[in-house]
Amino acid sequence: MPDGWYPKIVAFCCNWCSYGGADTAGVSRMQYPPSVRIIRVMCSGRVEPAFVLKAFREGADGVFVGGCHLGDCHYQAGNYKWWRRAELIKRLLDEIGIGSERFEYDWISASEGEKFAEVMRKFHERIEKLGPLKLNEKLELL
Amino acid sequence: MTKKVMTIWLGGCSGCHISLLDLHERLLSVFSDDVELVYSPPLLDFKEIPEHVDVALIEGGIRNEDNVEEAEEVREAADVVIAVGTCACFGGIPGLGNLFENEELLERAYVSTPTTVNEEGEPPSEDLPELTWRVHPLSDVIDVDIMVPGCPPSPDDILEAVRCALEGEEFELPRKSVCDECPREKKGKVIRSIKRPFEGEPDPERCLLEQGYPCLGPATRAGCGGRCPEVGVPCAGCRGPAEGAPDQGAGMISALASAYRVEEEEEPGFDPVELAESVPDPVGWFYRFTLASALIPFRADRGEEP
Repeated sequence: MPDGWYPKIVAFCCNWCSYGGADTAGVSRMQYPPSVRIIRVMCSGRVEPAFVLKAFREGADGVFVGGCHLGDCHYQAGNYKWWRRAELIKRLLDEIGIGSERFEYDWISASEGEKFAEVMRKFHERIEKLGPLKLNEKLELL
Repeated sequence: MTKKVMTIWLGGCSGCHISLLDLHERLLSVFSDDVELVYSPPLLDFKEIPEHVDVALIEGGIRNEDNVEEAEEVREAADVVIAVGTCACFGGIPGLGNLFENEELLERAYVSTPTTVNEEGEPPSEDLPELTWRVHPLSDVIDVDIMVPGCPPSPDDILEAVRCALEGEEFELPRKSVCDECPREKKGKVIRSIKRPFEGEPDPERCLLEQGYPCLGPATRAGCGGRCPEVGVPCAGCRGPAEGAPDQGAGMISALASAYRVEEEEEPGFDPVELAESVPDPVGWFYRFTLASALIPFRADRGEEP
């Protein structure tokens, strides 16, 4: 790990499940790395591909999106829409040199605090191994 | 007092100048006794950029150090700068070069293309401006007052932009997407499978995207009248992102994924990877004209040395 660098992870969590899962992890005092910055959205189906790309552009080393389990979406099928989008985003990230391994999505219910913490720990470890994305420095090149 | 107008080309193909010349006699409606064209590579043989002009039309984006210098010089001289065409506005087709290292581009262009004869096997280097690290839209280097997107923009759009610039009016672009102007019938907004443009024969009446053809209409700014899809050619997105969308490709991914097999999404066995795998060339489809101004405007794993 380069000196002074600590991963920055942006996690978009849906209000009804994954954010609840993060809450459960919190109130149960489960440990996961502080590299994760959670942004609450109403539904994973609300997450536009531009959110993910913007997070990387603004300096994230990894981006996570959490939704309800398939079939459990508060809005019926928002997570299905997100699911298709997510797979296309992976394809784009590989092509554009960021790499799909810096991007993760999962289904985490409000009661699954332990799963939330575990998924965050694993993702943090992966990003730590991959190292900094260093997009900012290249964005400044003429 | 006579107003002075200039045009210049940077990292473009001269197509936008040709579109300007397509005004034919109507050029005279702009360049009359009161408005003089003082610098224009395809029309006038002047070598020095004038010290002051009222309006400057710049075609092409930033590809090399020479482009940067000329863009800055023009900005210094002109009261109003108009970015004419998609290369100037968003980087355009040359922006796809941002997926490669500069050495790879030079090697491909000057050495390894089958039609190139290069006995030394080295790209030329003497007395040539250095490539910039990547392709930029004009607005990365100088302030742009008016943008006229299109590849090329229509002669009427250019004429209108010049008129607005001369008379101090605001030049407005349509705020809707190409789909709003496309005459094809949209039925259910469901896409069954992705096709390559050469596969099969498209239904002449129905929406091309609904038939699975890679049309960028939903994510592209209107104003062209949907003339490509009208004649059966899927929109390539040459007019850049629709109003308010920060990133044309991201908008298209969103639109495409939302509509793909939407009625069977909850059935067991439905696999979204199918969609991702059936897109043959994501950057080429989603960012053909706007990669250089996208949120991620280059291959992130490129080397940092210019």
